[in-house]
Amino acid sequence: MSLSARRRAVFAVLILALTAALAVALTLGSVRLPVAGVVHSLLTAAGIPSSAPALTPAGEIILWTIRFPRVLLAAVLGGGLAVVGAVLQTVFRNPIADAGLLGVSTGAALGAVVAVHLGLTATTFLALPAAAFTGSVLAIAAVYVLAHLARRASLEGLLLTGVAVSALTSAATSTVLVATEEYRVKAILFWLAGGLDGRSWTHLALAAAVILPAALLLTLLARPLDVLSLGDEEAASLGLHVNGARLLLLGLTAAIVGAGTAVAGSVPFVGLVAPHALRPLVGPLSRHLLPAAFLGGALLVVMADLAARTVNPAFDLPLGSLTALVGAPYFLVALRGIEDRG
Amino acid sequence: MSAIVEARGLTVQRGAREVLHGIDLDVAAGEALALVGPNAAGKSTLLRALTGLLRTSGGTVAVGGRPLRSWSRDGLARKLALVTSEDEAVSPLTVRERVAIGRYPYTGPFLPLRPADHAAIAHALAMTGIAALAERRVGTLSAGERQLAAVARGLAQEPQVLLLDEPAAHLDIGHQLALFRVLDEIRATGVAILAVVHDLQRASDWADRLVLVAEGRIAASGPPREVLASPAAAAIFAVRIEEHAVPGRTAPLYSFREGS
Repeated sequence: MSLSARRRAVFAVLILALTAALAVALTLGSVRLPVAGVVHSLLTAAGIPSSAPALTPAGEIILWTIRFPRVLLAAVLGGGLAVVGAVLQTVFRNPIADAGLLGVSTGAALGAVVAVHLGLTATTFLALPAAAFTGSVLAIAAVYVLAHLARRASLEGLLLTGVAVSALTSAATSTVLVATEEYRVKAILFWLAGGLDGRSWTHLALAAAVILPAALLLTLLARPLDVLSLGDEEAASLGLHVNGARLLLLGLTAAIVGAGTAVAGSVPFVGLVAPHALRPLVGPLSRHLLPAAFLGGALLVVMADLAARTVNPAFDLPLGSLTALVGAPYFLVALRGIEDRG
Repeated sequence: MSAIVEARGLTVQRGAREVLHGIDLDVAAGEALALVGPNAAGKSTLLRALTGLLRTSGGTVAVGGRPLRSWSRDGLARKLALVTSEDEAVSPLTVRERVAIGRYPYTGPFLPLRPADHAAIAHALAMTGIAALAERRVGTLSAGERQLAAVARGLAQEPQVLLLDEPAAHLDIGHQLALFRVLDEIRATGVAILAVVHDLQRASDWADRLVLVAEGRIAASGPPREVLASPAAAAIFAVRIEEHAVPGRTAPLYSFREGS
């Protein structure tokens, strides 16, 4: 099979699998909704008359106020995080680059912890996502400004500065955590573990308003991204404004991670696993890899969230721990592959 | 013949240190020019200064009769193509995708590849003799094939001058000969080539003109025989250079001995 035929097949499978996963995720949960009822409710909402049996009023409420925003948020979040992983791996020419690298995730965590510590979350709706988003944007801005001040806007300079800023924000997070009253720590822990429990249409709107346009823009910037992957010197000699392009690409990834972390906490490994699994199937060119990664990441997190809320009947498992449970072993196996080839 | 690239009094600083001091250099259409000189003489720096990758601290560079700084980035990339010997083993792209990147100065960030782009890519693959490898991944190629792919990327830019930084480094003799044959064929199409070459025999066989660079200055410039026979060449490399005429061979062979 030629590469382009295989690519089309992979996209078809991803779209079908994601559609099926979304459908299953809408019906399963602590309350199982009949498939026919869900179909009826969806058709009716779309203005299409349906003869299928309707859901109970309680079922309608579960479907529309609880399950729908949660499932869609899982898809948007997973897609966004996978695109970020694919972009960072290309920019840094490193198959294990991810959002933790530039201090974006740790910055978001610090913002959230500070908001909880100050008690803002109890008084102001959406204070936590706003603070997390602010934290991630400040962190990446700090990385960029510090790297420039030290005249290290190069790849290595950004990476090293990112590691330093990450360590700094993590230390600050621990310090604030220790100083926080005990009854608030639980809220922080819940958020740090990552999860989509109780997320509303408002959360979805907030995340989607940032993640979808940013992911689309990154896909449109696929060619400069590929040029950048060949090294700064070659990119510059081909007429690319290297520092400007990198700033734009990193800024967009920071916006996605910031928005995602703001509404769902930390959901690790999605950005590593999805691009890594799909790169051999669709090829490394960003205009193929980024859309494939979006679909793959969405599929991964929708499934992970479904598992998080159905595996254990007593309480939801943390989503972030689940993606790590699946992602870390996958990654260890994949690492061996990378070393064998290298 | 008018010069495509003209450098006058070019100086470059790295930090507080001046590494190129007042370089004058012309590159004419279709010319084969070899930059030779000891390690750290400033040859690679000169290539990067001529292509606008390094900021110059004095003097002027004109490309096509216009000052370097008046060119747009992509406009310059359509005139000059720089190919360095950066290790490309990690690139997961196929050869065709890799060569297609050379069309970036024409397509910019958003335009799709058009028929003219596909034609330039096909021409570059054919000139370098790697059309059969087009669908292979660059990482699976031999060092010689990778270097040809890098040259093909430069050709896809359809430049007037191809600048090469040690194109034959790490290549075995068979691949070296193949590479320089390809360079000759490229030159026959009117593209000037400015290459940093370490092997003086190879440089004298291949180039129209040698430019000997030492400590950031041009010490000698001219036909290979004149430059290699100059006292400057012997002094700079600290070797004795002996020329041997070989019947049936137009260019002389050289032997080198330590000490001057």
